[in-house]
Amino acid sequence: MLKDYAIAVIALLVCVALLAVLWPSAPESPEEREALAEGRVVITYWDRHSGHEHESRRELIDEFNRSQDKVYVRALSIGYNSLMEKLLTSIAGGVPPDICALDGTILAQLAAQGCFLPLDEFMGSDPYLSQDAFFPYIWDAVSQGGHVYGVPTTTDTYCLLWNKDAFRRAGLDPDRPPRSIEELESFAAQLTVQDESGIQQIGFLPWIPWDHSYKLGVIFGGTWYDPETDRMVCAEDPNILRSMQWQQSFAIDPDSDANPRHALDPQKFMSFQRNFGAYMSATNPFYTGKVAMIIEGEWQCTFIPKYAPDLNWGVAPFPAPEGVEPVAYSPTCIADCIPVGCRNEEAAFAFLRWFHRPRPDGRPSPSSDYNFAIHNIPCRPSEATQARFTDDPTFRVFVDVLMERPVATTPVTPVSQFMGDEIERYREKVVLRELTPEQALREVQDTVNAELRRTRAFLERTRP
Amino acid sequence: MTRAERRNLRNGLLFASPYLVGFTAFMLYPLAASIYFSFCEYNVIHAPIRIGLANFRVLFFDDARFWRALYNTCFYTAFSVPLGLGVSIGLAMLLHRKVRGLAVFRTVFFLPSIVPIVASSVLWLWVLNPDSGLLNGMLRQMLGIDGPGWLADTSWSKPSLILMSAWGVGGAMVIFLAGLADVPQVLYEVAEIDGAGPWGKFRNVTLPMLTPTILFNLVMGLITSFQYFTQAYVMTGGKGGPDDSTLFYCLYLYRNSFMYLRMGYASAMAWLLFAVILAATLVVLVSSKRWVYYHGE
Repeated sequence: MLKDYAIAVIALLVCVALLAVLWPSAPESPEEREALAEGRVVITYWDRHSGHEHESRRELIDEFNRSQDKVYVRALSIGYNSLMEKLLTSIAGGVPPDICALDGTILAQLAAQGCFLPLDEFMGSDPYLSQDAFFPYIWDAVSQGGHVYGVPTTTDTYCLLWNKDAFRRAGLDPDRPPRSIEELESFAAQLTVQDESGIQQIGFLPWIPWDHSYKLGVIFGGTWYDPETDRMVCAEDPNILRSMQWQQSFAIDPDSDANPRHALDPQKFMSFQRNFGAYMSATNPFYTGKVAMIIEGEWQCTFIPKYAPDLNWGVAPFPAPEGVEPVAYSPTCIADCIPVGCRNEEAAFAFLRWFHRPRPDGRPSPSSDYNFAIHNIPCRPSEATQARFTDDPTFRVFVDVLMERPVATTPVTPVSQFMGDEIERYREKVVLRELTPEQALREVQDTVNAELRRTRAFLERTRP
Repeated sequence: MTRAERRNLRNGLLFASPYLVGFTAFMLYPLAASIYFSFCEYNVIHAPIRIGLANFRVLFFDDARFWRALYNTCFYTAFSVPLGLGVSIGLAMLLHRKVRGLAVFRTVFFLPSIVPIVASSVLWLWVLNPDSGLLNGMLRQMLGIDGPGWLADTSWSKPSLILMSAWGVGGAMVIFLAGLADVPQVLYEVAEIDGAGPWGKFRNVTLPMLTPTILFNLVMGLITSFQYFTQAYVMTGGKGGPDDSTLFYCLYLYRNSFMYLRMGYASAMAWLLFAVILAATLVVLVSSKRWVYYHGE
């Protein structure tokens, strides 16, 4: 009898322990426990940002939580790398976050699959959230089939950043960035430092810190994807081809005696790139002077003072090739979405309304504050041109590019991740001279179009 | 069944229930579901649509990356498994000798295999760094040669990972140590009387007596190396670069499932991998009749 009793007690303890570990909504902080005790609705917010960017978001969310007696927002930093799989499995499992901040490209892919609630009614009724309030390209990026699926928070654009000290050492005028593609090439050659042990400093490579093929294609005046016919057209576009050939020109062709001066040995630069430290750290290759010129976004206006306060740097629009109208490239935006299966829609709306509208006392919206804290560009022209953004001469360069030029973005398709992977993969083959730019672009066009057709057909069949 | 037996059964099931529930929910059901999904187009969000053998057809005839991934994985397996066996037998032989501080040596050589894979991968990223890495530094200083770009070089990236795999042989080494302890001392004495030297003893006594252990480690090695994922994911940023040279099977499977939302396709890949591993294991098991010696038989 005693033994049976002991077994029952042990089994019970195991169950209790399991429940304690697996219980989904255990309060995460004293504040949250208090909020639960007050009977407030607790909602979960998944942030695509991490590090200091997430901290800035959290401060604003804390402000919301203090201002509230009905809703409490629990913010989690999920980060960019595993966001997609976590979000997918949580939606499939029926336990999604109530709100998720994510990139426009992922939004496009998942919205096409029906992962998010349409926000037409919620956003249409509010002058701060309706179509007219945002940059047109951003509204297009968060919309599909006539519905809008995300409240845009931050947007980005890219420019050319240069290290003034490296310019000085190379005998260049530190205050004069390259103004044409040809100048960029010759500066790149002058700024590259090599000795017998390999590369010591890279002047410029088009795929640092990550693949820029898509934006270079549009900067060269090309079109990758035609939304009218819903197909990739990169293999048929001479400007995309030019951009790919230009990228290839940065890698030495072993079979040619007439390599351009800015070309580097692929083996050497791939080895050198292995020494690059973490992107979000003081060892970022641009901060440590390993790379003298780089294609980068406006967030560097926060990153550099934080991680490399002594860096002497400048920013200028990326030069347009001759005869091509200068464009701004934007990878669309980061937007707040409400996944299908959200259990507290009203509470989520209440938070989004607070976050994206000016404060009642007339101060700017928390969304604008967030952009200012992390130096991203607000998604509304009215906010992007606020004095605090344009007074900063470096940040202003980015804002002006976005305000003054036509904006080209990554297309809204259900295969954006696949498209990005394929472009990067084939660009690598071009640089290593396994394929010619023509062959590579043909492959990209064919594989992505096949995947696009397959996905569209599947989505058509799943439509209720 | 007597009352006692019934009670035992009940208690037994009760104690096993955490496992049984977990196994059914997290292993058996997903396994069964993935068989079904492999014949479907499925993106996790929508109900799967049956498409027959289309996933397999695309894999076999239309997907060059699939073959690339399979090749990379077979290449890795073909070299890392024999290397692992060789290194672990060698270490076990060394650590089987009665020397001072034996326990310390055994611990030191076993330790790497219990370092979390992600941590050891990050560590190896630094060891293999072409310019400032330990390995190339040693090559330069001790031998005066410029080492390759390791993970940055398409032809050295797989050998780098194979080399690195020898670092985690601790588990197999311990099993070989147990196998060595099982070799009857008398056989060595007999061999010595017959005039066998160290090599002769190894070749004719140790190795045959170890064959059951080798078989076990070979099969386990095959299974784990066909499923190679974490190191490649961590060390190549999850993309299998440069130029797909480290795109291993499971890495490609993962990208298909969670990045491209082709869960049905990924399930088909998973079952093909199962077939490959099963076939490889069967070949080893069938051939083992010819080379494994169970003493006492």
